[in-house]
Amino acid sequence: METRVESRPAEVPLSENGVSDALPGHPDFDFVREKAGIREFRLRSNGLQTLLLSNDVAPVATFAVVYRVGSRNEAVGHTGATHLLEHLMFKGTPEFDREKGTAIAAVLEALGARFNATTWFDRTNYYETVPSDSIETAVRIEASRMRGALLRDSDRVPEMTVVRNEYERGENSPFQVLYKDTFATAFREHPYHHPTIGWRTDIESVSTHRLKEFYDVFYHPNNATAILIGDFEEREALATVARHFGLIPASARPIPPVYTVEPPQEGERRFVVRRTAQIAWLALSWRTVEARHPDTAALAVLGNILGVGLTARLHLALVEESLALSVTVVPWQLRDPALFSIFAPVRPGVLPGDVEARIRREVARVVSEGITEEEAQKARTQIEAEVIFDRDSTDQVAASLSQAIAVADWDWYADYPDLVASVTAADVRRVAASYFRDDGLTTGLYLPKEPPAA
Amino acid sequence: MTGPVPGAAKASVFPRRRASFEESVRRRTLGNGARLFVLENRFNPTVAVSGSMNGGSLFAPPDRRLLASVTAGELAKGTSRSTKLEIAEELESRGASLSFSAGGGDPVGVDIAAASLSRDVEVLLDVLAEVLLSPRFPEEELEKERKRLVGVLREQQDETSVRAFEAAYRRIYPPGHPFYRRPVEERIAAVESVSRDELVRFYEERYGAGTLLLVLVGDVDSGKMLDGLERRLGSWRLGPAAEIPKPDPVPAAPGSESIRMPDKASADVVLAQPSDLARLDPEYVACILANSALGQSSLTSRLGVRVRDTEGLTYGIHSGFAATHLAGPFSVSLTVKPESRDAAVAATLEEIVRFRREGMTPKELADEQSSHVGRFKVDLASNGGIAHAIDAAVYYGLGVSYLDEYPSLVGAVTREEADAAFAKRVDPDRFTIVSAGSFDA
Repeated sequence: METRVESRPAEVPLSENGVSDALPGHPDFDFVREKAGIREFRLRSNGLQTLLLSNDVAPVATFAVVYRVGSRNEAVGHTGATHLLEHLMFKGTPEFDREKGTAIAAVLEALGARFNATTWFDRTNYYETVPSDSIETAVRIEASRMRGALLRDSDRVPEMTVVRNEYERGENSPFQVLYKDTFATAFREHPYHHPTIGWRTDIESVSTHRLKEFYDVFYHPNNATAILIGDFEEREALATVARHFGLIPASARPIPPVYTVEPPQEGERRFVVRRTAQIAWLALSWRTVEARHPDTAALAVLGNILGVGLTARLHLALVEESLALSVTVVPWQLRDPALFSIFAPVRPGVLPGDVEARIRREVARVVSEGITEEEAQKARTQIEAEVIFDRDSTDQVAASLSQAIAVADWDWYADYPDLVASVTAADVRRVAASYFRDDGLTTGLYLPKEPPAA
Repeated sequence: MTGPVPGAAKASVFPRRRASFEESVRRRTLGNGARLFVLENRFNPTVAVSGSMNGGSLFAPPDRRLLASVTAGELAKGTSRSTKLEIAEELESRGASLSFSAGGGDPVGVDIAAASLSRDVEVLLDVLAEVLLSPRFPEEELEKERKRLVGVLREQQDETSVRAFEAAYRRIYPPGHPFYRRPVEERIAAVESVSRDELVRFYEERYGAGTLLLVLVGDVDSGKMLDGLERRLGSWRLGPAAEIPKPDPVPAAPGSESIRMPDKASADVVLAQPSDLARLDPEYVACILANSALGQSSLTSRLGVRVRDTEGLTYGIHSGFAATHLAGPFSVSLTVKPESRDAAVAATLEEIVRFRREGMTPKELADEQSSHVGRFKVDLASNGGIAHAIDAAVYYGLGVSYLDEYPSLVGAVTREEADAAFAKRVDPDRFTIVSAGSFDA
């Protein structure tokens, strides 16, 4: 959800052919470029983008494959398809099959791997952090399920109810209900309208055949990036990737682009959800821009100034004033124009309208008065520190890098610290004025059916 | 910004000899008893701190258990020198963090967690020491916290998992027991009446260097850190002894309860029973290996394979022992569509009965052993992970060397030992079963 980025170690001097003198590469790959310690290669046989980042902090490595497919690529009838496939791609391939007792999860579990897959609007990310002597097993698994997922109906039927329970768990959470309804209200045409988990009846009814079609359209080496971060030797790592992915052909047809554009919003939108509950919640979200947009870094800085820490403006205005129990600010960073959201659970006995008014006042104050240079400096430093903390573990870097690839490209991850470092107080005020407009606002209220106990 | 310079160190790779933790962790015990541990790890310019102290709810009167969590939470709300916001500004302006917490599953300890960029470590330690040694517990901050906590307690009552766990613990432990959960209205009344004097008294009686343990891992000079910590903490009071009173064993109280909560698409089910497994039990490792095979992973353990993968009744099912200095409960928890509850509980119990009757297969034990050893390695891959592991090992009296010995301890467990240790402690007929959700009847 939140995109974090990497610190900026000195660039490695490149020789004339663009290949770092220090490192060997591999004949099956073209070396593309290097930035912030990340080296990009392209597998000659099928175009698989491959990124390597060495990190010797411990004898472990994270291998991840990011597919540029998410709920953004779905439509009514098969919403949730990417996520269902995420589940089914753990079930069986010719080499790793639960029916033969060699389930992917069982193989990884026995290694002590930390593994999972996550689906989001713009991407799916399959990853495993393994002791570095087991990198090859991770690579084999990911290569095997890129084109070899069996996707049997006998896998889908019991898994559908598993996913439906995941959906039901989400419905229990006021935060998740508000965020899903916010996107469904703010986006009417663009596929960010529907949630990554899908609509309930699509989850229940989509056929195995339709999922297979979806798999055959989007799951190819030319729509994916392989990432290896951690303790490895470069030539050997590339040879391992080539050995397992090299024979998979690129897709015969081009990957279909998403061309639907959400038109400008022409007036405030509101929705209300009433359920049995003790606590009211509210969410205010303004239409913003795509991650690649030059205003993204200033919106991120603004997000920290409003929402990160006890000294953030909205924390002072809402929690310190005993109006809300907490406050969460999310400057969503997605491939297409997204939202800037503020969520708050209302303290019992306080009117949700009072919390809403206070949030709007604080937001308006940024527009009318701007922010101080100290606030800008603090937020820039916080983001810089987050980026450096990421390097503490290989899976954090992999997650951040995956998200960057999904919403822009990996070099956005490498450039992000510089983009943030250059944000000024004036920039923050300018973006606040540009995006905190009532015409682009969607307000959601989650209200207890009965009056909350005071 | 001094991240690893790519390439430079990797041109040729020889197997690195990694020194043992026992060899590489520097340590010092101060005159007042505080135990300090520092491990230099130069790969990334950060530092992580993990620590603990015996100031948990066990040491508060049974009807005032919340004193432990409120005292820990209020420590950083003002000191003799700084206000809450001044403290927060010192940390937040550097992207640093510091927290004290008591509660969760361990009634004995207060957890200390902190992190900063290594360039800011002196400020981090200044704040840590200031907050630990000279908190003021200002009344106006406590008043805000009372209001917030009442709201948080009400908010938690909207969660099916909280309702199921609380009711289960209330049924299996008697009032006064450290794991007993009082009804929410009683806890709200306790929050509303908690006074500043009580916090000050709890702090003065329970906090002290005698049980303090601090672990620093990161891009720091260990000698300088040990000297700096000694300078800051060396004059602190000794505080209470490390004795931990153990509650009497509790017999199981089988039974069931269904809590109806409207408008919940997913229900939570908890099956729990008291257990005698504490962290220092010689059979601890055997028990957690057996439990892993039964229910640690929703994807690969027996319960997950049956209830999730085969029958599709749940998104998540887990089992586990809550073993700390005290023996906590053994519990299984799962989420279900309300209509599927009975089928899911039946399948869960059937698997536990079968597991107890048949034990693990040789492959299961081997897989769990390699899994635990591998996972241990993976978890030690960050400053925070290493700091936490050292803290836990020392907190339980196992010593730093435990990190080096753990793989062989895991490898030495036999199938007979694991099966017997588990069967002795978990009786499928003795569960208290609580469900919370939108059930028809």
